Amino acid sequence: MDGYVATDRVLTATASGPPNSRRVGDDQNLVSRVWIAAIGGVFSLPPLFVLFRAALLGGESLDEVTGALGPLWRTIQLGALVAITTAVLGSVMAWLVVRTDLPGRRIWHTLLSLPIVLPSFIGAAAYAAALAPNGVLYGPLDLVGLAPQGRLAGMGAAWFVLTVFTFPYVFLPVAARLSVLPASLEESARMLGRNGPQAFREAVLPQLRPAIRSGALIVFLYTISDYGAVQLLRFDTLTRKIFSARLADRAAFYVLATMLVILTFVAVAAQRRRVPGTMETPENPGVAQPPIKLSGWRRIAALAVVAATLTAALLAPVASLVVWAWRGVADGRVDYAELIGPLVNTATIGLITAAVVVTVLVPLALSTVRRSDGLAGAASIAVTAGYAAPGVVIALALSFWVRSVPGFFWLYLSFPLLLAGYAIQFGALALGSAEDAVRAVPRSVRESARLLEPDRNRRIALIHFPLMRPGLVSGGGLVLLSVVKELPITLLLAPLGFNTMATRIWAKFEEGYAADAGVFALVLLLVSGVLTWLLVLRAMDS
Amino acid sequence: MVGDVMIGRARASLGLSGAPVKVSQITVAYQPGVPTLQDLSLSVAAGESVALLGPSGCGKTTLLRAIAGLERPAGGEILIGDTPVYRHGAAASKKWVGPESRNVGMVFQDGGLFPHLTVAQNISFGVVGRFRRRNSVDHEVVNELLRLVDLEGYGHRLPGTLSGGQQQRVALARALAPRPQVLLLDEPFSALDTTLRAQVRSEVAHILREIGVTVIFVTHDQDEAFVLGDRVAVMEHGRITQIGTPDQLYRSPRNLAVGAFVGEANILGARIVDGLAETVLGPIPILAPIDGDRADILVRPEALHMHAGEGAVIEYVEYYGHDTRYDLRLPDGTIVIVRDAHDVPRSVGETVGVKFVGSPVMAWPAD
Repeated sequence: MDGYVATDRVLTATASGPPNSRRVGDDQNLVSRVWIAAIGGVFSLPPLFVLFRAALLGGESLDEVTGALGPLWRTIQLGALVAITTAVLGSVMAWLVVRTDLPGRRIWHTLLSLPIVLPSFIGAAAYAAALAPNGVLYGPLDLVGLAPQGRLAGMGAAWFVLTVFTFPYVFLPVAARLSVLPASLEESARMLGRNGPQAFREAVLPQLRPAIRSGALIVFLYTISDYGAVQLLRFDTLTRKIFSARLADRAAFYVLATMLVILTFVAVAAQRRRVPGTMETPENPGVAQPPIKLSGWRRIAALAVVAATLTAALLAPVASLVVWAWRGVADGRVDYAELIGPLVNTATIGLITAAVVVTVLVPLALSTVRRSDGLAGAASIAVTAGYAAPGVVIALALSFWVRSVPGFFWLYLSFPLLLAGYAIQFGALALGSAEDAVRAVPRSVRESARLLEPDRNRRIALIHFPLMRPGLVSGGGLVLLSVVKELPITLLLAPLGFNTMATRIWAKFEEGYAADAGVFALVLLLVSGVLTWLLVLRAMDS
Repeated sequence: MVGDVMIGRARASLGLSGAPVKVSQITVAYQPGVPTLQDLSLSVAAGESVALLGPSGCGKTTLLRAIAGLERPAGGEILIGDTPVYRHGAAASKKWVGPESRNVGMVFQDGGLFPHLTVAQNISFGVVGRFRRRNSVDHEVVNELLRLVDLEGYGHRLPGTLSGGQQQRVALARALAPRPQVLLLDEPFSALDTTLRAQVRSEVAHILREIGVTVIFVTHDQDEAFVLGDRVAVMEHGRITQIGTPDQLYRSPRNLAVGAFVGEANILGARIVDGLAETVLGPIPILAPIDGDRADILVRPEALHMHAGEGAVIEYVEYYGHDTRYDLRLPDGTIVIVRDAHDVPRSVGETVGVKFVGSPVMAWPAD
């Protein structure tokens, strides 16, 4: 969900806007230009550093390239499979809940967007725990003679787990698009001789394609940069290889990371092609379209498909966590005091990061919205690129950079560097919201304020800030939510002994303490569920 | 603008002809809060143009959509030409023809153009038979229709690059391309701004008058109904209150509500004496005798004449150029509206005389 907030930015960011005529109040001072240049520099540091070091490797890199081809191929395969499956699953779910008379479709709509709250590593762990002997799914499967042999692992497992936890990235935008498309589109096609399915294919589907494509792109980027799920499911993608190369083999890291950066770049570039003939979202969608009646067996089949999806994406993993947690609680094995430290750490680092990132990016937002020029455009592309970049690459690039450039070593495993890692990864979320906040104070309001209140500081306090606050808060909230669930950057950059909820859950699962991990994971889900509801679902309703 | 010669040619090569439409006693039932049609009947002759006029929520769009096949009624019968397209009844006599097979064209409020197809591909979309390849273009038909709607050379454009008026004309061309016998228009001009609206309306009126297809359209705008409709059906609460020529509706509305809906109206209380309505403006002739001696009569503002004299004070003036509208306060406090086209406009506060100069008016017994 936080993902597709940023997609529009990924897809529409431009290097330069048309020059605006300069009006009173539009003057830009040198300080803010330097600041924006610095933002651009920091955000483009990780990929540039990786590419630079890879280029320096020269002949040495050839051996590494051969070794990296396998992980590269597996990454592309997994990314493509997950993107295609989620595109189909997300679109079908969207069509069922928006366009048919499926019983309880409003509730399904909300429930189907919830799996997005589960970070993929928790989802993967929940499944691994569910299919282990004593897990919630082991018993039922054993009954029908399908008891899983060995642990859950491999490409099929990664494909399944990532699909069920990322399909909402397609489902949400497609459902939103479907519900605002004017009824006249489909009805025109009917009046011109097409039957129902033909009308959908020829008139409606072309209008959904951009939403499906951008949703699938987010899923693809999520999948190729995912570390937690593939590590738990023992599937060797680029991220897993990068992570394991971090200590010993820097050459391998630069080559693998370069591949991942290029793959990300290619995916984004392929998506950015402008699609002509896409309708602007109409302000007034006109007549509400009568929902399609599902009769008899179709109704039952549709309900079964939706229920099965929800079971796989939400019910089964949550039940698995609950059962393990319950066992731990019942046995008295869980040490609740252990929860306090990580919980406080997570909240502290999340809130500080949110505040810092929003504050740092407001000058850029002011610039991109009010007087976009080449510098602001370039900086905003750098910020957007940071969101697409895999966390392991950002984290390791930063960590190698501070260790290899003289005078920066003191930043290694420090809070400022961890904060920088988060900022680079999630800055785009804050920037998008900060731009909305800036747009909330249109020129007419600024000019009226200027005519009525001569004191600049009072104008900011009385007019600008109150209007911008909702946008800034929601930007900060999205960053907070993302930091709370973040794993690889925290694992690689957090100061020694600094545990967050995510790293504790990770460690517990790796060490095999499923009960503790279940309790921790449920607390994390609760926190991020409430945050998501406050920030995203409620905002979408209004 | 479209010339007559050109329209004649278009008609010949498009080969359009109208079919009668007969709606008998249809009922459309919905969930609560949505308009419902109750035992509604309507007959439209081949080639005729009928406007469905009424306030929003009166069921006019529902009726149009039922004829199109986009709404499935719960009772009654609909015939297009001699063919029943919907009939309620037992299994043997039951009938339902889908919207795609009714040979009916429709223009939607927002045009409903496919944004991803060019103008030419949009127009060709419904032309089946010779061209089954997806998004192919039948140049002959497209050029003929673009000429008809005065948009030659626009075939390669995408709808998003056209103005609202141009989009509606493309929508009209697209609806006509499959040679429908009946053309339905759902508030086709309501999305356009006022100036454009009048222009597109008269362009479309010219086209529709000449091509010979049966037209049924929905509007809440009385001017639109009168300009485009041979007959106008006034609807209220899911029923047709009155159907007739614009002149019939204007001069002899069935009730006060219809009368007030189709134009500006002064409603005056009167006593009936010797077949004349005695009002505050003096005696006024009525069209037909009524029961009782107390009545409400409907006097159009242009049937009142202002002259130098006594009896009324000008309260308010709206100057329109071609005429001027005055609100006059009569001695008993009644306000009447007068439209006057001749004089130099008078000012607020002036004292004038007012008298009735029109033909006999409608009267209804007062409660």
